[in-house]
Amino acid sequence: MIAAIRAFKVPIRAEAGLSRRVAARLSIGASKGPKAKVDWADLIGRVALGGDREAFKRLFEHFAPRIKGLMLKAGCTADEAEEIAQNTMIAIWRKAHQFDPATAGAPAWIFTIARNLRIDLLRRRVRADRLQSGSELPDEPDQAETADILLSRVQDSARIAAAIKQLSAEQSMVVRLSFIEERPHPEIASTLGIPLGTVKSRIRLAMNRLRDILDEEA
Amino acid sequence: MTISHHPPEELLADFAAGTLEEAHQLVVGVHVAGCPRCARFVQAIEQLAGAALEDVQPVPIAPDAFDRVMSRIQESPKERAAPPPASGTDHDLPPALRKYRIGKRRRVAPGLSLRPIELSGSGNARAFLLRSAPGSRMLEHTHTGTELTLVLEGSFSHEGGRFGPGDFDYGDDEIDHRPIVGDECPCVCLVAMTGDLRINGFFGRLIGPFVRL
Repeated sequence: MIAAIRAFKVPIRAEAGLSRRVAARLSIGASKGPKAKVDWADLIGRVALGGDREAFKRLFEHFAPRIKGLMLKAGCTADEAEEIAQNTMIAIWRKAHQFDPATAGAPAWIFTIARNLRIDLLRRRVRADRLQSGSELPDEPDQAETADILLSRVQDSARIAAAIKQLSAEQSMVVRLSFIEERPHPEIASTLGIPLGTVKSRIRLAMNRLRDILDEEA
Repeated sequence: MTISHHPPEELLADFAAGTLEEAHQLVVGVHVAGCPRCARFVQAIEQLAGAALEDVQPVPIAPDAFDRVMSRIQESPKERAAPPPASGTDHDLPPALRKYRIGKRRRVAPGLSLRPIELSGSGNARAFLLRSAPGSRMLEHTHTGTELTLVLEGSFSHEGGRFGPGDFDYGDDEIDHRPIVGDECPCVCLVAMTGDLRINGFFGRLIGPFVRL
């Protein structure tokens, strides 16, 4: 519909290992088990305060491969996913002082950085394709070109986190597959084993439900 | 200002996921920056994306990636200072718009002028500021296509209601309106419109007969 950038995505990769990935996806909302919870916000704070290299290394080891994984799922090439992952980590170091746990959890904040870098990368690539010459383009975009335009943040992260927990597992799943992993609706239908019409109505219901929950919480 | 017309939730989710083309991202982003209700929705999608990031199967990163990242950080550890706003003199514009270069006003029809917003050139839709005189009335038209409109100043009304500052109007080919600009002052809108001749929505109808953008 609106998402013209999607038109430039590489085709969905070969679905080797699909069943394992589907199984992993379907575990959404399941218990994470006894795994010790690392305080990512604390590590980001240590990077912000003292340039703590050890803290940064732990962030890097955890998040860089996950950023790469998520970018691959969303249709980036391996080179693009690697570049976005590395640039995101650099931005985490440089922007660590801007991180505000009141507005976002650490993974959500890191996602927004990776998302904006991906937008910049895709725009530069499309522009380069259109100009048929990459030489006029800077390696790194100007600040003015960056996608980071959401200026006001609601200081509400705990309540927002509580609100999204009220979505059903099915609703969270369909939002994740459709918007975050950018799977086409027919693929979501076959992944979940439901009719195409159900995918569409489930997305609509999830959107309405999320609005309602957030409005009640406000 | 009370905002009573918001973008469809799917559009907000696409915005949060970063999949909108630039003109649409700009218009939705300016709305969200001034609308706490939609900001909460976007942040909720971002939190869901954060959860997806935690759950995703990690993919091994290049073996030398950490060292390369650290050496790039040592070269320039701090963020570069943001450049001065491109449209520095336009103090009336929302902050999210000030970093864009905005072209000179040009008259497109009696009582109607627009200022194009310079985008990176990656998308198919254009963005512009459109100013229309108080009390302007539209001719009925039939078009197809999509148009996003955000009111910055003044107002217009059609059968979908009255649209004042901060209100967002989503026009597509299923809607057939005859909008009227409010009498109180000129109406200034931020508009994203596909560069197709078959345009639709309030301003598509307004300028479609007169100009090719």
